[in-house]
Amino acid sequence: MNGTYKLDTTAWCPGCGNFVILKTLDKVIDSLGIDRHNLVLVSGIGQAAKLPHYVNANVFNGLHGRALPAATGIKIANHKLDVIVTSGDGDIYGEGGNHFLHALRRNIGVKVFVHNNQVYGLTKGQASPTSDIGFVTKVQPHGVISIPVNPLALAVSEDCSFVARSTATDMGHLERMMTEAIKSKGFALLDILQPCVSFNKVNTYKWYRDRCRELPADYDPYDRQKAFAAAIKWGNEIPIGIIYRSGRKSYEEMNPILSGEPLAKICKTNH
Amino acid sequence: MDTNIRICGEAGQGVQTIGDLLTHTFAEMGLHVFATQSYMSRIRGGVNSFDIRIADRKLFSHREKADLIVALTEDALDVHRNGLSNGGMIIFAGDTAGDDVVAIDMIKAAKDAGGTPLMVNSVAAGVVVSVLGYELDILTGLLQKQFGKKGKDVTDANTACARMGAELVADLKGKIPAPDSGDATSAVFSGSEAIGLAAAVAGVKVVSSYPMTPSTNVFTYLASVADKYGIVVEQAEDEICAVNLICGATYAGVPAMTTTSGGGFALMVEGLSLAGMLELPIVIILGQRPGPATGLPTRTAQGDLKFAIHAGHGEFQRAIFAPGTLPQAYDLTRHALVTAHKYQTPSVVMVDQYITDLQKNISDLPDAPDPIDRFIVDNPPQGYVRYAITESGVSPRAIPGGGVFVVVDSDEHTADGHITEDLAARVALQEKRMRKGNGLTVDALPPEIYPDLTEEILLCWGSTYGACRETVDILLAQDRTICMVHFSQVFPLDAEKLKKIFRGRIVTAVEGNCTAQFASMLRQVGALNEYDTILRYDGLPFSGEEIAEKVSGNERNI
Repeated sequence: MNGTYKLDTTAWCPGCGNFVILKTLDKVIDSLGIDRHNLVLVSGIGQAAKLPHYVNANVFNGLHGRALPAATGIKIANHKLDVIVTSGDGDIYGEGGNHFLHALRRNIGVKVFVHNNQVYGLTKGQASPTSDIGFVTKVQPHGVISIPVNPLALAVSEDCSFVARSTATDMGHLERMMTEAIKSKGFALLDILQPCVSFNKVNTYKWYRDRCRELPADYDPYDRQKAFAAAIKWGNEIPIGIIYRSGRKSYEEMNPILSGEPLAKICKTNH
Repeated sequence: MDTNIRICGEAGQGVQTIGDLLTHTFAEMGLHVFATQSYMSRIRGGVNSFDIRIADRKLFSHREKADLIVALTEDALDVHRNGLSNGGMIIFAGDTAGDDVVAIDMIKAAKDAGGTPLMVNSVAAGVVVSVLGYELDILTGLLQKQFGKKGKDVTDANTACARMGAELVADLKGKIPAPDSGDATSAVFSGSEAIGLAAAVAGVKVVSSYPMTPSTNVFTYLASVADKYGIVVEQAEDEICAVNLICGATYAGVPAMTTTSGGGFALMVEGLSLAGMLELPIVIILGQRPGPATGLPTRTAQGDLKFAIHAGHGEFQRAIFAPGTLPQAYDLTRHALVTAHKYQTPSVVMVDQYITDLQKNISDLPDAPDPIDRFIVDNPPQGYVRYAITESGVSPRAIPGGGVFVVVDSDEHTADGHITEDLAARVALQEKRMRKGNGLTVDALPPEIYPDLTEEILLCWGSTYGACRETVDILLAQDRTICMVHFSQVFPLDAEKLKKIFRGRIVTAVEGNCTAQFASMLRQVGALNEYDTILRYDGLPFSGEEIAEKVSGNERNI
């Protein structure tokens, strides 16, 4: 019964990078032995934000840009749940930009997988907060003139517990990064570079494959200066891997009210 | 016997400290106390005031005129001079003043008594207690309690300052008549405390807000009791976060609440709609203040009623409460939580600066944890879906972490919670959600009629309870037959039942807004035809005397 609770048909375009992310996430959930009844997938709005419907798990598909506040509330209410946010670059970095910044500060144990395709898909091809300068769209006919948000550098500057980049063009790498993110303590940001086959004719599978390079084996993710350097690197070579780890305590560890049983369990019911 | 004392001065000067000290002193004396505040939106300077009305009977309202005014600055003296009652006295905390004012250099007095300039507060309290003819023992006892932790020196100095204050007005002792000590309870609560305590007792475990006057004190109170009751109090980066955070928390099974004012509530509106769609029992404490926009941040108003009723895109059900007294503030906060959980839909509690700040001695409010029923199914069966279609519109509620998947979506969804564009499913789900309105209307609290229904009605809602009730007392004493009909639940309304109250009667709506929002809503639903209005929107609260005067001046006598 529970094996079929999810929706079997997606709303995605053939060839979308979302399929790789979905397949990888499903695999990682099982390989880590996560109890799916104890897992909540949280999303906002957009094509990426539909992913939770295609996974057997609890789902909170909330408002555009508001996945992080909702995930924070869920994790506070029951910090024994595994809470994973899976949403797009527009949702997390644009509409929800302020929440992203403050979620980094809180460092609550929510894992955020951002499907970053550098374009707005569902609204048919406008620039996203991560579109490169010069990216031409119907709304930006002369090309984007604002510099892109750098989510990784922001996360490093806020001493985020876990900061990584991967790409939907390398499933093996993505699987390792998802696994490490879920295993980490505190807030985890995994930025996943992902082609949009319908609306981004620049940042294609080939474009990412040609540029994404794994960080060297001797790279020390605890070195914050090096992490900044890796985070701001973009162009002909884009580093992928665990950019940064901090030893920061998580929100759950810092808040004594959450030291015991989850609040959702200790709320007595007179029912 | 009924005496009104007004302390006025600059922000940061100790107006509130003196006011609080006197409020508790009078309550300890067994007097009925009713304290209100009026302040500007600044941290230092300006003119703030703190009124303490004392009587040998229960009080429900403040009074416009003061019998004893203590002005700490010349500006305060100028602003409040005209607020003195006949036979009243003004004391100015300075070395000289006009003939009609008693000047007492309180800073000098504090220093002479061996204290610091800060202890001017204790001097002022000593002056007031003595001019009213009371002994100092209860005041000094409170000072001992209040400063005990700071050591004997500080305590003794404050006590000496209070005595010095009393000595300096020895020849004026008892000059202002005041009620005899009585047997009223010494337990003093503010509206904010009553709301916060009720939420904590009812088992609210997550509170997330962005600070905004006048609801900040509720938020602060909850933070102060968070350790005791095991509440996570999280200051949000904005109101959008706050409302979405409590949506997440309620989804995961925990009673959760946020506090805000009109501008913040405006930011929460999309989240309110989310709670309607996801069927989450969120509760919002909405402290109104005069708008539009930033308006008058520290003043009082009842201008957001129609906004709260209509807030949120799309159509969904909600319950809206509006306490008029401190016991109602306590009871309705709990009731809002119960209603939200029973119907799985948002509840709003509408308050304002007047009721959140007012302090009164009332019988102790219960503080032992007494969690509400969350209406959660303990062992949902296999095949469980979150939004099963039911006659009541309320579906069995499971929470994540159990044996079934709980799927919720802000998109339209099928009964299993998954996104859909099946339009027949949309209609079925929308009708299911809207059916909750039937139960909510049946459960709607009836208005309170004081004392008995008469031909002439003063219609009010929320924080104007006290002023209207006092108006009725004043007018009844003048042999005018009139009653108050007060609504503490303003939405939804049972129009059929209400018609019976209003049909053929003369109604005057008393509201803190420009357009008589509540009365016009009653007319809209067919419960009320014609009405007169007494409206106030200058940011200050109504008093009983003021309304009584206006009603008396109303030419249409019966």
